[in-house]
Amino acid sequence: METREAIEEGRGEGEHARARRRRTPALVYSVALLAALVLLFALGNRHFLSAYNLNTIASYAAILLVVGLGQMCTILIGGIDLSVGGLMSLTAVVFVLSLRSIGYWAFPLCLVMGLLVGFLNGSILTRVRIPSFIATLGTGGIMTSLALIVSPLPIDVPAPRYGMLNIVNGSLFGMKNLLLLTLLVFLLFYVVLRLTVTGNRILFVGSNITMSWMSGIDIVKTRNLAYVLSGLGASVAAVLVSCGQFGGDPTLGNVYILTSIAAVVVGGTAMTGGSGGPVNTLIGALILGVMENGMNVVGVNAYFQQSILGAVIIVSVFLTFDRSKVSVVK
Amino acid sequence: MDTSSARREPVFELRRVSKSYPGVVALDAMDFAVYPKEIVGLVGENGAGKSTLMKILVGLVQPDSGSLHLRGERVTLVDPAAAVRYGVGMVFQEGSLVPNLSILENLFLCHEAGFRRAGFLKKRAMRETAERVLAEVNVHVEVDSIVSGISPALRQMVEIARLLWLSTLYKKANPILILDEPTTVLTEGERTTLFGILRTIKERASVIFISHRLQEVMENSDRIVILKDGRKVKELPAEEARLEEIERLMVGQAFSVDRYREEEQAPPRKEELLSVTKLKKKGAFEALSFGVKRGEILGLVGLVGSGKEEICKCLSGLSKADGGTVKLAGRELVPGSPSDAVASGQGHVPIDRRSEGLALNMTVAKNVNLLVLEFLKSAGLVSPKKEKANAAKWIEECRIKAPSPSTACGNLSGGNQQKAVMAKWLSSSVKLLVLDHPTRGVDVGARDDIYRLIRKLAKDGIGMVIMCDTFEEDIGLSHRLLVLKDGRLVAEVPCPPGKKPNPSDIIGLVV
Repeated sequence: METREAIEEGRGEGEHARARRRRTPALVYSVALLAALVLLFALGNRHFLSAYNLNTIASYAAILLVVGLGQMCTILIGGIDLSVGGLMSLTAVVFVLSLRSIGYWAFPLCLVMGLLVGFLNGSILTRVRIPSFIATLGTGGIMTSLALIVSPLPIDVPAPRYGMLNIVNGSLFGMKNLLLLTLLVFLLFYVVLRLTVTGNRILFVGSNITMSWMSGIDIVKTRNLAYVLSGLGASVAAVLVSCGQFGGDPTLGNVYILTSIAAVVVGGTAMTGGSGGPVNTLIGALILGVMENGMNVVGVNAYFQQSILGAVIIVSVFLTFDRSKVSVVK
Repeated sequence: MDTSSARREPVFELRRVSKSYPGVVALDAMDFAVYPKEIVGLVGENGAGKSTLMKILVGLVQPDSGSLHLRGERVTLVDPAAAVRYGVGMVFQEGSLVPNLSILENLFLCHEAGFRRAGFLKKRAMRETAERVLAEVNVHVEVDSIVSGISPALRQMVEIARLLWLSTLYKKANPILILDEPTTVLTEGERTTLFGILRTIKERASVIFISHRLQEVMENSDRIVILKDGRKVKELPAEEARLEEIERLMVGQAFSVDRYREEEQAPPRKEELLSVTKLKKKGAFEALSFGVKRGEILGLVGLVGSGKEEICKCLSGLSKADGGTVKLAGRELVPGSPSDAVASGQGHVPIDRRSEGLALNMTVAKNVNLLVLEFLKSAGLVSPKKEKANAAKWIEECRIKAPSPSTACGNLSGGNQQKAVMAKWLSSSVKLLVLDHPTRGVDVGARDDIYRLIRKLAKDGIGMVIMCDTFEEDIGLSHRLLVLKDGRLVAEVPCPPGKKPNPSDIIGLVV
């Protein structure tokens, strides 16, 4: 029974509020997990923390981060984007092919392609009104086939064009361009989500779509932004990978559908939408990078790696899932 | 008909049961008894404690103190399933049948064990039992019909039949059926049928029914219990009851003048702000017209089903009317578009602040700033500094008590959450605010803050359309009341300060 003082101070609360108060922000758990993993692997192999290895982890995590940031936008708004894989595959081959014909223009072309595909996803959701799970599964499937139609086998970047790839492969002030570009993308997403009006509304719509609608928020515009950003993330990630591999792989994206989601949720962004952000996805990408690298460096049996990764994903989602939003966990 | 309670043992009794929520006492040492083979009519205003009492009777809520006694022995009802095993069940106003299953499946849901043979259900036996059970309540219908396709009246009968069957299954004599506002969704004819069936059921069960329609309570119960402010003010045999007396006991004599800050009620301005012309919606309300001036508070009163909630939804664009227009400050609103209503300067404080008013996991500051982000920019981007300043301003203005502006809204008390919702709209310079039960579930201290805000808004020229939990509140706050009944505007009652009408005058118009 609340005392008068407690009520006056605004701390009168029911069971829900009490439980939420006790809940630590998801970010704390994910950072703690990351630290624990780093410590574990460092103890397992003294080369884990070498500059070379850390660079390897960073390069792997960078890709996950870029595609993960896009995925995060759709999850924040309460949906999901299963087409990122197909888009990455399609972008990879389109990038390499256009590099041959239009040179440097291949870069902006692929960015625009990502934006357009994102807009297409958003429009389908608005027009056809089916769950994003299904709609993006569909568009993703279409793009996966398109990629293979465009080029059934991986295509190489012709040697004369190698110089153009230095945008990604070169370094500036000792830092690999890949990492600098990833930082740029991270800052872009941070600014859009936190400092633009529509970006802010992505979180509101994800947190409470009814309230957002009743308050006059343009749900369509907000949703379009989320999916456009997702398309951007996927296409940029594909370009980064293709530069690094000096070629375009039409099956590039397959593995990224699930790992992009993993990067988002392991970092503490709720699948239910409305909570989380770019920093969470950064930690999530790092956790996955550290796991992938660490297990190899320490010598974990390759066949066990998937199970351990799966277990880590379950643990982190368990710690960060917002049960007050979902009365029955399905 | 022997209604003398002194000679009978109650079948279900609550002794000195109390229940409180943060800042609100819902039940105050309540003694309540139900006797065998009787129909009890339970009446009281919103907030009187009826729903809390019912929830305790069916095991949805545990009392803070006091005891429950069923058929002589003390019991604890841990959940509604336990209550059902004791033969106590409730038919909720919204209905709790599974809409995509058939009547047959709903009747025996979760209790099919008796029909099982080697893992399979004996469909024929189920069908026969279903038909027999429904016949006992005078219902003859195809039991394979899907529930979503049958009438509300029939759905209610299915629920009643189910509860009766469950009590025979658990071999409990004299089951207790609780009906929450059973007649709101029924037509005149269906009501007569329902009460006829209840009289048949009375021979082997007890029925408690909650209703706002005092006339029908008087005609159809054996005993009437009147609640007010969490206490039982009176119980009496129906034949001794008089309508005026019940009304008076429900709303209370003491009508405190300054509770609603009446002295701050200034006359409205001259300019017409909202003008509603021949607005109508099939099944909800017939063509009506009214206006709201700047600085005027218009109260809509009526029972559930009078159409007042639907009118407010049409005003705010949450629902489309079938005809008529709504004009705000001279501009006609696009029907069915909340964004158009908001852009024109209308705000809506919803009845359910948790699911419709706030993003609970986001901070107070973010919620308050939701509608004005475009004005808090510098250099093209939202400025955190301006956000902080705006939030601080409105938190102070609305007296929102929170540990910090970065507290999640879900952690605030109900009253502070409601103030946060109002702050959100106020910060966006609304011209007209629709308030749907603004003090529901709000403690006394915050209520006063909200009244203060409402008075200030009126003084600043903002018009308001308000629906309150009690007639007292509607009368106390408004300049004028529109009385609605069965979808029609039946009366307009002025409420000037110092000459406010009595709640008992209004209640007569409403029922």
